[in-house]
Amino acid sequence: MPDPKIGHDRETRRLWPALALPGTFWLIALFLVPIYAVMAVAFSDRINLFGEPIPAWNPVDWQFGTFSTVLQESVSGIYQEVWIRTAIYSFWALVICIVVGYPVAYYTARLAGRRRGLVLALILAPWWINYITRMLAWVNLLQDDGYVNKFLGLFGFAPHSWLNGSSFTVVMALAYGYLPFFIIPLFASLDRIDGRLLEASRDLGVNSVRTFWAVTLPLSRLGLITAIVITALPMAGDYYTNTIVSGSPKTNMVGNQIELFLLNGPQKNLGASIVLLLSIVLVFFMAYYLVLTQRASRDTR
Amino acid sequence: MTATITPPPATTRTAPARKWVPPWRNPWRKPYVLATLTWLYIVWSLLPVVIAVQFSFNNGRSRSTWQGFSMQWYCCNDGSVFEDPSLTLALKNSLILGVATVLVATPLGVMLAMGLSRWRSKASRVANGIAMVPLVTPEIVIGSALYLVMVNLYQFVPLGRPAMLLGHVTFSVSYVLVIVRSRLLSIGREYEEAARDLGASPLQAIRTILVPLLMPSIFASAMITFATSLDDFVVSQFLFGDASNITVPIKLYSAVRAAPTPALNALASLLLVGSFLALLLAVVGLRARKRGAGGSVLEDMADFS
Amino acid sequence: MWLTVGLGAAPLLSACGDKGSASIEGGKAPYPLARPSHPVTLSIKDSNPPIDDGLEPESGGDFKILNYSDYMAPGVMKAFGKKHNVNVQVTPYNNYDEMLAKIRAPGESFDLVFPGPSVLSKMVYAELLQPLNHSYIPNLANLWQEYQDPWYDRQARYTVPYTIYGTGVLYRTDRVSEVPANGYDLMWDKQYAGKVYILDDLGEAIGMSLLRNGITTDINTGNAEYVSKATDSLIELIDLVDVKVNINAYSEIPEGTATVHQGWSGDAIAGQYYLPKGVTPEVYAYWRPDEPTERVIGSDVIAIPKSAQKPVLAHLMINDLLDEKIGLQNFGWNGYQPPITKFDADFLVKEGYIPKNIMNAVIVPEDFDSGLTFYEVSPATEALWRNNWSRFKAGA
Repeated sequence: MPDPKIGHDRETRRLWPALALPGTFWLIALFLVPIYAVMAVAFSDRINLFGEPIPAWNPVDWQFGTFSTVLQESVSGIYQEVWIRTAIYSFWALVICIVVGYPVAYYTARLAGRRRGLVLALILAPWWINYITRMLAWVNLLQDDGYVNKFLGLFGFAPHSWLNGSSFTVVMALAYGYLPFFIIPLFASLDRIDGRLLEASRDLGVNSVRTFWAVTLPLSRLGLITAIVITALPMAGDYYTNTIVSGSPKTNMVGNQIELFLLNGPQKNLGASIVLLLSIVLVFFMAYYLVLTQRASRDTR
Repeated sequence: MTATITPPPATTRTAPARKWVPPWRNPWRKPYVLATLTWLYIVWSLLPVVIAVQFSFNNGRSRSTWQGFSMQWYCCNDGSVFEDPSLTLALKNSLILGVATVLVATPLGVMLAMGLSRWRSKASRVANGIAMVPLVTPEIVIGSALYLVMVNLYQFVPLGRPAMLLGHVTFSVSYVLVIVRSRLLSIGREYEEAARDLGASPLQAIRTILVPLLMPSIFASAMITFATSLDDFVVSQFLFGDASNITVPIKLYSAVRAAPTPALNALASLLLVGSFLALLLAVVGLRARKRGAGGSVLEDMADFS
Repeated sequence: MWLTVGLGAAPLLSACGDKGSASIEGGKAPYPLARPSHPVTLSIKDSNPPIDDGLEPESGGDFKILNYSDYMAPGVMKAFGKKHNVNVQVTPYNNYDEMLAKIRAPGESFDLVFPGPSVLSKMVYAELLQPLNHSYIPNLANLWQEYQDPWYDRQARYTVPYTIYGTGVLYRTDRVSEVPANGYDLMWDKQYAGKVYILDDLGEAIGMSLLRNGITTDINTGNAEYVSKATDSLIELIDLVDVKVNINAYSEIPEGTATVHQGWSGDAIAGQYYLPKGVTPEVYAYWRPDEPTERVIGSDVIAIPKSAQKPVLAHLMINDLLDEKIGLQNFGWNGYQPPITKFDADFLVKEGYIPKNIMNAVIVPEDFDSGLTFYEVSPATEALWRNNWSRFKAGA
């Protein structure tokens, strides 16, 4: 009979927290404190002679003037268009991700048969390819004398200037960039569905379409939501994709504004305020995702 | 005359004649549509990169018109990767940073996973929550936050390699945590308890039992950490400081809209080779240690949600 | 308790910063603002003395330069690196704001930096630069007389001029049929949509708009209404011609990516080196206002950051850049004129450095007497310009 004391003696009880401590401490010092620093800069009250904000570390000194200006401009001022544009781009890119990604994930998880290893490896391959490289590849193809225009030329279409501030290009680039990250959690979730459930459904004479709606989709709902959240959140903060495929301020997203203020200028309090605002907007999605995963991990324990 | 012995008519049971079912009603048909879609996706996903690699061998300055095969952008010409010190420096920085990140993040994350999964208390749930947040935080938030804290508070940490290492490890720890923890949960506690029954101390039990069992996950998370670090752009861009710490993604980004040559394609291809080599080494190394574990590594990587 | 300790420690940690971190009141500058009519002698403090005479140059390691990209000839940098056994590295920036962010980052050290008169006083006040020791720079004598003792830095205490340039508009002659009298209007012309660029520099862009729209000839104005109107005009460009912003006129015009590009005179001259095979410089041209009093002129300077690890080498490189041979080699690569006496317009043309159709890109000393230039302005004015620029960049 197992000794009930093993696993609960003082040594073991102190061991696990001790193991977790370095990682936790790291995350506090390098994740939580930086978030606090963002607030300290956003709510700063003084500017130095270079136009940079002096962070207000003590919450007592916090001034909300800059933040409320940014909020105002975002709701009804100069940044309103940027936020709307970010939402629209993310929405359409996500739609493409779902429409393309779900069937691919489904096929790979359930129907690939003997080729499954190969297909999975090819689907995972972009994970190992640098994101900027993948965008660079598209810039090559989309240039005025690139393969895309040459291909379209075969059908008699005049060469189109794809890299000139085209929203279409940006949305397609976002979808292209984030699809691999979208497919993976979806794949994992579809993979976990017990095949016998689907077979049972088929045996009962339910056709494929209804099986899908009634059985597969609900079972993969968690995976789909995870995939959406995991893709939408980083996409909302993206700024490099549209800088690479379109150099124009017309396609600027929220991330570009943040980059402008934090890296290319001294008004870091504006940048920090936008970062905070973005985080607040996204926190609802983040929290939803965390609750879902906590619930799921509790279920599997 | 020998009579041919005819065997008695076999009572065969033939299958009843199958009624032809139209494809869309046949639940066991081959998934042609989905298969085509998937392969089309794979081509769409990978072909541009293949073409980009192709152009790195272009005999000319263009990145969109093929002018013949040449290795000039890799070696020995004036603008090539190995002759241009800034390009080789970028490659070197990326690789060094990637390896360093793996060396720091993997032990940190594995310990965190072990600790959090076994430690039952309110504090552990809080720690767990904190550890999961970086996974869903947009990179620009992480990058901005790290930049602001480095410049305003942690001023003893110079921007450049030290700051970049800290940044990369921070977002990598969460990946390691998730991958290792899911494997930990499936392993269960029986092995350790058996070891403890046999007299091993908790640390010994961990070292000799738990860690080997976790090896596939540890390898998977190390590979993912290496890949993510190599690929990282945002955090690196915020923290690199000066030119001596530029990594390949930063170099590619800054050059893409300037006056790029196929040397950029060559640089990107070299980085690709580096990542895939690491992947190959890890899978091969893992196969050598444990037969059949390579497949599970792939699943682990795909399974980390 | 820990929270309070942490919060208390934070100001202590961040106080280990430079003097520039101190806050300013009311948007006024605590440092002198130089003007040609009010020249400034920058102060040398005891806490920031120049290096001693007769020191040995440092050797080995990296020599870090903070500069615009493609602004110094690779040949010059390589030769210098070889001579002194150092690895010369350039960290690029697109505008002075980025430059200031980089040079002020804690833990960063650069050996050479290329600011301009519009940020000089501020940098000296914040002790970002160290005074020069002229004993290492005998080639100072090669410079135009005015520049050995410029209005923004009397006695050349902290800086040495690097280049002089004008700002105008580069355009493709094969695509632009007619150049209007107000050449800036080229950028507002719908027929070039998709290939119009303005400089990614808030001063140059808004300043150009002030001039184009005839709002004012004071390109350093602190008048909120003027700056706002000028920015509104720039914002029109976004929808009108799909305008883009960068500082790569020198490559984009010759390569044809751009049809109209606001650019510097040096871009026009350097453009000849970026032409595709078989294309001659006649394919593009440089426009600037006919009236000398309406032209925008500027200069960039070389200075040594206080944090330089190799100050002696930095002085030696400055001396090299002022040398006639090396200066010419540099000019032959980046297209920007150094104000070296020997290099007057006739000399440069005779030596074949200036294509015949780009003659108007050459700067002569008289241009500085009559032209418009950017001065250093008060923080309040800077904030005004910056806020407007971010309006434009928001793509609204």
